Amino acid sequence: MSIEIRNISKRFGNFVALDDINLDIPTGELVALLGPSGCGKTTLLRIIAGMETADQGDILFSGAEATHLHARDRNVGFVFQHYALFRHMTVFENVAFGLRVKPRKERPSDADIRRRVMELLGLVQLDWLADRYPSQLSGGQRQRIALARALAVEPKVLLLDEPFGALDTKVRKELRRWLRRLHDEMHISSVFVTHDQEEALEVADRVVVMNHGKIEQIGSPDEVYSSPASPFVYQFLGNVNVFHSRVHGGFAEVERSDQPEKATAFVRPHDIDIAHATFANGMPAKVLHVHPIGPVVRVELQHEQEIVEVELSRERHEALQLAVGQQVWFRPRQMRVFGADEQPRSTPEKQPFLF
Amino acid sequence: MKSNRATQEPGWVRALLLATGLGFLFFFLGLPLVAVFVEALAQGWPAYVEALKDSETRSAIWLTVLIALAVLPFNILFGVAAAWAIAKFDFRGKSLLITLIDLPFAVSPVVAGLIFILLFGAQGYFGPWLAANDVKIIFAVPGMILATLFITFPFIARELIPLMQSQGKDEEEAAVSLGASGWQMFWRVTLPNIKWGLLYGVILANARAMGEFGAVSVVSGHIRGETNTLPLHVEILYNEYNAVGAFAAASILALLALVTLVAKTVVEWRMKKETDMLNTVLAPEKT
Amino acid sequence: MKTNRVLPGFGLALGYTLVYLSLLILLPLGGMILKASDLGWSQIIDIALGERSLAAFRVTFTASLLAATVNGFFGLIVAWILVRYPFPGKRFVDALVDLPFALPTAVAGITLATIYAGNGWLGRFIEPLGFKVAYTPVGIVVALTFVTLPFVVRTLQPVIEDIEPEVEEAAATLGASRWQTFSRIVFPAIFPALLTGFALAFARAIGEFGSVIFIAGNIPLVSEIVPLLIISKLEQYDVLGATALAVVMLAISFVMLLGINGLQWWAANRHRNNEPLEVAAGKAKGGAA
Repeated sequence: MSIEIRNISKRFGNFVALDDINLDIPTGELVALLGPSGCGKTTLLRIIAGMETADQGDILFSGAEATHLHARDRNVGFVFQHYALFRHMTVFENVAFGLRVKPRKERPSDADIRRRVMELLGLVQLDWLADRYPSQLSGGQRQRIALARALAVEPKVLLLDEPFGALDTKVRKELRRWLRRLHDEMHISSVFVTHDQEEALEVADRVVVMNHGKIEQIGSPDEVYSSPASPFVYQFLGNVNVFHSRVHGGFAEVERSDQPEKATAFVRPHDIDIAHATFANGMPAKVLHVHPIGPVVRVELQHEQEIVEVELSRERHEALQLAVGQQVWFRPRQMRVFGADEQPRSTPEKQPFLF
Repeated sequence: MKSNRATQEPGWVRALLLATGLGFLFFFLGLPLVAVFVEALAQGWPAYVEALKDSETRSAIWLTVLIALAVLPFNILFGVAAAWAIAKFDFRGKSLLITLIDLPFAVSPVVAGLIFILLFGAQGYFGPWLAANDVKIIFAVPGMILATLFITFPFIARELIPLMQSQGKDEEEAAVSLGASGWQMFWRVTLPNIKWGLLYGVILANARAMGEFGAVSVVSGHIRGETNTLPLHVEILYNEYNAVGAFAAASILALLALVTLVAKTVVEWRMKKETDMLNTVLAPEKT
Repeated sequence: MKTNRVLPGFGLALGYTLVYLSLLILLPLGGMILKASDLGWSQIIDIALGERSLAAFRVTFTASLLAATVNGFFGLIVAWILVRYPFPGKRFVDALVDLPFALPTAVAGITLATIYAGNGWLGRFIEPLGFKVAYTPVGIVVALTFVTLPFVVRTLQPVIEDIEPEVEEAAATLGASRWQTFSRIVFPAIFPALLTGFALAFARAIGEFGSVIFIAGNIPLVSEIVPLLIISKLEQYDVLGATALAVVMLAISFVMLLGINGLQWWAANRHRNNEPLEVAAGKAKGGAA
């Protein structure tokens, strides 16, 4: 089932949670709503589920108007951030709930319910926990039961609110891969909310980056990472060095504008080269710190008053043999410049350079 | 509570505080509680049993139970409804509503009785109409039920509102998103979650309903065998210098109080166990 | 109000709540105020300031204040030992603290009167010392102390439990003595709760009737409390007089209730900054971006 979101706005008192949101989610896609807390992503998810009513705008499911459809009738599977498992029911009864509350005519027989629930518990690999209570499960198990419960009613859309937020790193990574596989097997549309960029980039087909109730960018994980549409997206997705024109006396840009303006350049730490001798467009700096972190080595340079963060591969670091206090030269391989209006002033093809 | 030397009082201070606190409780709580039973049995066991066999004492016991049974269903319904509206929804005037629910706690029981006399008594607003239609409310059981309803009004709501607020709306929303109707959601999800809190409120409300004195006294008219609840009967016997009779009746109420305390402690322990279970550190994933 | 709520039953629940509240609480109280307005304010004040009424108010307030103070002091100690010190039978003692809530006031009244009477368990030791409790205003204080005993303990207990041990440890590592830690760190933290418990006890004490009348002696001008005066006016068919006193009592309870709500609000919010929540939240969000 496809979802179309048309001009959705929502306020809570004076706080604008969503400001004229438009978004299309085609059938079968796994979409991440990514943004900092308070950006409106959860509100948008709850509006899609029918838990919250938008002040303006429409929601269409498979092209049909669904704005005023009750949550009960939307056929949406919702996985809550804190799972919202029914604490006084066993795992089995939790999963069976959606089947048991169906009107008598549509309700499956007890045997069918049993078969269906055990099938779902098998799918989430927790059939051995059927008689436990939610309080006896680990976080990752609760998460999977919540998912099985949502899937029991055969929803057309699966909505997940911060699905991995409350789990530790190792479990989180496992569950990510598992969710991806599950989504591919179930052939449904899924939307999940996250504030973790790594999670969004790894799992989703498409990432919707949100901030202050607006959509900043929609694109594939690669697109939003390598060509961010705004300074916000640049800073939210990964580490970045920010160079202000004031500090460096302006940029020599490939595309010159007539009016000189204030601009900001963004450079990812792994897009910076370091050398011992000066080279074309290189800038001088002093090595402040060298931290080997797992597969990479993070180097902090001091250039004039600025601290510049550089990430080198271990091989490159071996070759350079940097020492603290050393004078070196650095040069961005790739960067992006934004004007004061937050619009890009450069493209990946036409690289500006600093001097 | 774990404590260590850095955050502990010196030994003599601890001893002094323990002695003062426990001494205070002994003189003000322990001694009166023991005294009730000792006074009731002052003339020996047969006299005690005889006092309880008294027909007026028995009818007082029945009236006390009857009033409690009449009052509790209304307050249960009110408590659940008020807590549902207040805990799960936002609306204007919510804090005013909560304050109004608390109001009977602050009103003197005597005033609580008086207001019903002013409404339904001989000189009250509805008095003439009631007299013309031969309906008795004041100096009769209906008035005593009304006064008890007023006095016990906040108990259940006060327990349920914070409980339901702390449980949030997630489970109910999950039930609705899985297709449950309103009643299915209430009976299968909400009620099982609040059952201990509800029971706790019922225990407190019941203790107060059975033990209420001031409000009921004002509207009862003290008609022996008819409008005497057990606490009122205690007063009558005491004023007649029938100490054994008064304390025998009082001992039943004291037993009720002890049962209340035990039930309350058990329910508290159940509720604590449930919250502890929900807050336990999650075991590491087994895969 | 928002339309189209997801959870059902709001209209039904709020409707029932409001109807029940109106019929049982607001209508009767409103009826009384209406009755009192027949009298007019000046007459109400005249009745309230009559010699006997004034004395009754003085007795009621003084005794309630003393009882709340006694409970404030001993309640703090009891709450402290119940939270901090291990001792045998602690669970039993903890449960027993609620006895005054569970024991009917009439039972408390006759029992206390019997204990403190001249031939009673305590009276026989106290009276030879020239200290009479039963049938004097002191008896009122004793009865009110019993009835309101749980308030201070029960409001303080959770607050003392919530004090992080680290805070006291920090004070100790900074060189504070145990008394300095208590008076400068612990006491300020629990003070609002102490005050709330005190106010709750005081509010309850003012209206208390059942436990007091047996031990007070009920001598007009000396040991007669306001609720009893209301009843005796009622028994003399002076309904208006009773109503006047009741309205004054109601006004006092309402003020107390608002005061207690204010106290609790203050206790919960005193360490927050004064910004409205939404502004603070908005700033936090801006900061995260």
